[in-house]
Amino acid sequence: MLYLLGAFVILLLLVAGSRGLSLLFGLGINIISIVALLILIADGFNVLITTAIVSVIILIVAIFMNVENPSTANIAFKTSLLIMVVIVLITIPIEYWASAQGMGVEDQEELEGFSLAAGVSFPQLAVAIIVVNSLGVISETSVAITSGLNEIVENKPTLTPTEVFNDGFSVGNRILSTQTNTLLFNFFATTFPLFFLIHSLNDNVGEIINDKLVVAEVITMLICAIGVILTVPITSYLVYRRVKNKSSKERI
Amino acid sequence: MNNNLSGEIMKKKYLRICIVIVIAILAVIFTEFDAFLYKDPIIKVENIKTLEKSKNTDQYKNTDTQVTQRVTGRFLNTAKRGQKISLKNTYYRSQLTDQKYRVGQQVMLTKTGKHYSINDVKRDTVLVFTIGLVMVLLFCMQFSRGKLLTSVLLNLVVYYGFMKMLINTHNSILLLMTVITALLISGIALIVILGPTSDALMAYSSTVISTTVSILLSVLLLNLSNNSGVHMELTDFGLQPYFSVFISQVIFSVLGVILDETMDISSSLIEMKKEISDVSEKTLFKSGINIGRELIGPLINILLFIVIAEHLNVVLLYLSNGNSINYTFEMTLSLGLAQLLISGIGIVLTVPITSFIASKVITRRTV
Repeated sequence: MLYLLGAFVILLLLVAGSRGLSLLFGLGINIISIVALLILIADGFNVLITTAIVSVIILIVAIFMNVENPSTANIAFKTSLLIMVVIVLITIPIEYWASAQGMGVEDQEELEGFSLAAGVSFPQLAVAIIVVNSLGVISETSVAITSGLNEIVENKPTLTPTEVFNDGFSVGNRILSTQTNTLLFNFFATTFPLFFLIHSLNDNVGEIINDKLVVAEVITMLICAIGVILTVPITSYLVYRRVKNKSSKERI
Repeated sequence: MNNNLSGEIMKKKYLRICIVIVIAILAVIFTEFDAFLYKDPIIKVENIKTLEKSKNTDQYKNTDTQVTQRVTGRFLNTAKRGQKISLKNTYYRSQLTDQKYRVGQQVMLTKTGKHYSINDVKRDTVLVFTIGLVMVLLFCMQFSRGKLLTSVLLNLVVYYGFMKMLINTHNSILLLMTVITALLISGIALIVILGPTSDALMAYSSTVISTTVSILLSVLLLNLSNNSGVHMELTDFGLQPYFSVFISQVIFSVLGVILDETMDISSSLIEMKKEISDVSEKTLFKSGINIGRELIGPLINILLFIVIAEHLNVVLLYLSNGNSINYTFEMTLSLGLAQLLISGIGIVLTVPITSFIASKVITRRTV
């Protein structure tokens, strides 16, 4: 493990130079925030409130430390916050409906010897899992779309809302495809051992599509995708509003 | 004339959205009534009665309430269709592995002999609902859906084939299968996004070389340190052979991000060549590194949160069972951390490798 860590740090500094140091610093803060989140939840703090606070901190670090242009960072941060709220609002009813919290029969071996009366609300944790899962994807998407759109908008003298939205979607198309790939391939990474195990437990199709862990993974991927999709119109709207405010001020 | 035309297009667009919404709603309604397709008995819960509640504190000072409920429902399928049945269910309020049932839910049962017992919640309706929600959102907006959906579908088909092969070979040639699958899905993704062009080929070779180099380097480093600190036996669900499962997971997980990175770097360099036709190989390479530098942080973040989110349940189980933070993290997150470090090495190495390949290829082009 130490060798891996060493290789990572050396390569990072070689390729990214001094930028590498601030990257390591940002990663460090993110890891500390997540560890704090875990400890607070285990100590009995409310899962959803703690997750919300820690997520905001993570978004601030991820966006303001990585983006140099203040107007891009500002819009990207606002967008990610809005998307977070939307994701929580969608996830709570869907998770309640799906009852896909906690661990499944497939985890039996791992659970041996544990007291299952954990005192932590696993249904709430299921929501927190989706929110944490989406943090990186959402912050990256909003930054990428905002900076792409800002670049286009700044080089055009006049703008109608339709134009900004059209540009937003043309920038968004590529990002949506690549993020979908990332989400899908990660879904493959986590589910192939799961599907293999389910098969060896001799399950039929009916049981697979109703399986707690399978449904939880699919829902996580889909809700993250919803977050990515919604980033495009929200960013376009915020960029449009900024441009409009700026031009009306100039006229006065 | 122009107004008429755009009016026509708008009408078509709304019509398409309406059709998608109708299909989604019909699919959701269908799954609500699809019990006849299942072999296992399914009941719809009509009445819940709480029989017993006991609050207890375990040896780790976790307070949890154990509840016993009587679940009464009516069969939706099998020969007993329409008949009533009552079953007992016990759950902890934290619901780690057990389940609180509610009125209106459809529940799958298991029949052993003449005895019925509760198996699990029927979740296909919510699954279809969420898929429908994504589709409706996609169709409400001007994304080029055709490409996106084709690439997702093709990749799912390849993944299905991969799973079939794994099961047929009893997981004996996992690594080989993973490599073939990874080559296929990244190729499909690139061809669908960029088209069958030389740009796609360039991005593809960068992706393959970067992934291969970083995985080989990491495996070498892991072997040098005799896997110290990495608990291979803790891969998901304890599936064997541990090492192959771990490496396969790393490959799948990092592939999407590296694809994203190579496409970003190489397309920016292609743009640059278009603007400045006599740009030198060295300048291209340098700007490739500069662009890539900005991508490293966000891409590592994506994987960081995906990997950590996956382990939240088990980390909290360990912590609530009185384990120290150190022991918990070693048992639950060390493997994830190793995965992240290998991914990180891959993400970093992709920057010079892609910049090198792209600058070589692009400068040799005439236009």
